[in-house]
Amino acid sequence: MSGLVKDLARLIGDNNVLFQPEDLLAYANDATHYFRTQLPDAVVLPSSTQEIARVQAYAYEHQIPVTPRGAGSGLSGGATPVKGGIVVDTKRLNRIVEIDRANMVAQVEGGAVLQNFHRAVEERGLFYPPDPQSMSVCTLGGNVATRAGGPRGVKYGTTGNYVTGLEVVLPDGSVIKTGGKFVKQSVGYDLTHLMTGSEGTLGIITGVTVRLVPLPPAHRTVIVVCETLDQAAEIVSEIIARGAVPSMLEFLIKLAITVMNNYVSQPLPTDGEAFLLMEMDGTPAQVESDVQTIKEICRDMKAQEVLEILDEKAAQSYWNARSNIYPLIMTIFNRCTSEDITVPRSRIPDLVRSVQEIAASVGIMIGLAGHAGDGNMHPTVLQTEINDEMAARANKAIELMIRRGLELGGTISGEHGIGIHKQEYLAWELDQVQIELMKRIKAAFDPRGIMNPGKIWVEGGAQ
Amino acid sequence: MLKLENYEAIINKCSHCGYCQATCPVYLEDMLESHVARNRLNLINQVLILKTMPSTPRFREILDRCLLCTNCTQTCSSKVPVDEIIIAARAETGKSTLGGLKSFVMSKMLQQRGLTGLMGKAGSLVQKMGVAAREMPQLASKPFSQIYSGTIPAQGEQRGRVAYFVGCGTNFLYPDTGIATVQVLTRNGWEVVIPAGQVCCGIPAMAEGDLAAAREMVATNLNLFDLDNVDAVITDCTSCGMMIKEKFSKMLNPEDPLQEKAQAWAGKIYEITDFLQQQGLSDRPASLYASFTYHVPCHRGWSPTVVDAPRELLGNLPGAELRELPDPEKCCGAAGTFFMEHRDLSERIRSHRVEQIEASEVQTVITQCPVCRFYLSASLNSQQVTHPVIMLAQAYENVSQE
Repeated sequence: MSGLVKDLARLIGDNNVLFQPEDLLAYANDATHYFRTQLPDAVVLPSSTQEIARVQAYAYEHQIPVTPRGAGSGLSGGATPVKGGIVVDTKRLNRIVEIDRANMVAQVEGGAVLQNFHRAVEERGLFYPPDPQSMSVCTLGGNVATRAGGPRGVKYGTTGNYVTGLEVVLPDGSVIKTGGKFVKQSVGYDLTHLMTGSEGTLGIITGVTVRLVPLPPAHRTVIVVCETLDQAAEIVSEIIARGAVPSMLEFLIKLAITVMNNYVSQPLPTDGEAFLLMEMDGTPAQVESDVQTIKEICRDMKAQEVLEILDEKAAQSYWNARSNIYPLIMTIFNRCTSEDITVPRSRIPDLVRSVQEIAASVGIMIGLAGHAGDGNMHPTVLQTEINDEMAARANKAIELMIRRGLELGGTISGEHGIGIHKQEYLAWELDQVQIELMKRIKAAFDPRGIMNPGKIWVEGGAQ
Repeated sequence: MLKLENYEAIINKCSHCGYCQATCPVYLEDMLESHVARNRLNLINQVLILKTMPSTPRFREILDRCLLCTNCTQTCSSKVPVDEIIIAARAETGKSTLGGLKSFVMSKMLQQRGLTGLMGKAGSLVQKMGVAAREMPQLASKPFSQIYSGTIPAQGEQRGRVAYFVGCGTNFLYPDTGIATVQVLTRNGWEVVIPAGQVCCGIPAMAEGDLAAAREMVATNLNLFDLDNVDAVITDCTSCGMMIKEKFSKMLNPEDPLQEKAQAWAGKIYEITDFLQQQGLSDRPASLYASFTYHVPCHRGWSPTVVDAPRELLGNLPGAELRELPDPEKCCGAAGTFFMEHRDLSERIRSHRVEQIEASEVQTVITQCPVCRFYLSASLNSQQVTHPVIMLAQAYENVSQE
């Protein structure tokens, strides 16, 4: 047992420290093991903010890298401990501290699982909309750290739109509380939203306060079958332009529907090339009128078919299948790299066309799925074989798509974060002045550079 | 055959999404990612397939600390058969150090039924190990095999003929399940054939990685039954059902002449309530004055309707009040013989289940797994745990009393 492990055991108890390689392996990557894996030197499993603070102060004193971890379900390599050191697993800080109906806010510990939180607020007639598709396992702290979003972004925004306060363990082990339960605050820098999306590079999020909204009383799922991908994209643009606001508006190609059909009780038709999976929510009257608007648009745009899903169970099974699309697609392919390009919504048709062109020119399959309603697409590079040539093509396609997304006025990541996966593209989107400013902020928080090192920007600074 | 080399391709289908964290009872208790399917698979890959890491006691411990409940397998959209890979890895690393009782149960008792001397030995072993009586199953005074065997004719007009595969749970611990199964089947026009000489389905041996012993039992059973003249094979146990439906064929070599029989079994196997619900009851029970809840067994993935059947058969009877638990499918922690070697972990898993059941304030808990039945009973004070077919049989008695 190394000195590090002994010290950590002394700080938080030897049952809460892992050091055997068989255990360390489990913390060596997130959902992107194919980018990089790296065994940490130790994993700690604290149960309180104080325990995390003790570990953090120790790491600061000894200049040991610390990588915070939620469920390890991220898609950017953000939780991969690329410099070794200590992984701080936050999942034992999982209490829902308070659901405050009078103030329409809730407080949770950073490791609380999103789906458990969803259930708890919905039982009380309240609603917390952010819905990253890993919601069955992902944690609120991880959601804040990556500014996570999901299908409901189109109507409700993402995690960043709901966070009103945080408890954070800073790199030196001090603990701060930002924001609060209030609706407004104009007091100095907005550290709450600086921490949001900081990907564990500024501190460890141990407590989260979020605002809630009333649970919409009615909702309905509609599926639009389209003859071409372009047609589906045009319909998305038209829906947004006409001011209809579905609570979810997902773009799916036939391949996606085919794999989803292995998962659902009532299979969907597969005679179109692209599909829009939508949900309308609100009052019953509002839902009814929104559905009619969608139907009119689809008629005007000559969609192949519009299916209203009245059976609740069936509707839920489609959304569950949608959540599982990433593992589902692995039944057919051997490697899937999901991109996160987000463009102004009017440019969705351009992006969809460009991705098809890029796939053809590079000679690789690219599955198109995503939250088209908010401009966030997840073109997924699909590999049947794992070899150098395919990897080179995949990289080429990813580069071309990211460049195209930026040309369309978009961003390289809508909701996954940069991590290690997109760090070489950071300078394509942000100019040097912004990157240097970010690095100075980082240095102010973390002068010793121990917090989740090796993430967001490429080290060395030469961009 | 369940050989690791046959799983080398599919183990890489794990997308590392980590969604298996949501349903793994061991992970939810330990909160160690090392104990969740994503890492178990990665570790097996590194140690036994890629050989980048040595096989260590900690590796074996991680393999052993799996309930084989199949919750991860059912959760996995990439369809990685995690349970089979764990079994294959256990087989490859050699037998674990089985406890004396456990290895005795596995190697002798389950292979040779009806030997009362052996059962007596098992009883004394239990005492020798100092296990609290309440925490070990009590053997029935008379095993089911001494109560019913051969052919039991249908009552009234015969609708068909079924073979009854009697699991060890029913034979040794809960003959009442078997009696109710025969009564309800015959009452509903089914002739029941119970071939003598049945042995364990093999699932406990398979779970240990003792594939040779499991294969023996599978072969014995396959040779014993003539399926040509029966409409279905009935089991009252969801784990036997899973074994027969999904694993029998995998216990045999692909070219084994018994493969054809294994396929025939897989095509005809039904859990008793699932079978009754699908076929419909010709004789209607009229009343069931009881509040109950349904503890859904983990080994449910082999039939899409096996979890609806008990609810539909019993829930709508007059006087029946089915109160669903917040998580009806939550594991009880027993998992075959797992609870004997991981007592602390199993008890912690069970405590959540017991809490939910007690809060529901029902009179009865139904479940189609004899181990769940035993293990929950051992910890519940105010509720009885029984098989849904027993409740159904009681509902018929209620009718005849009126």
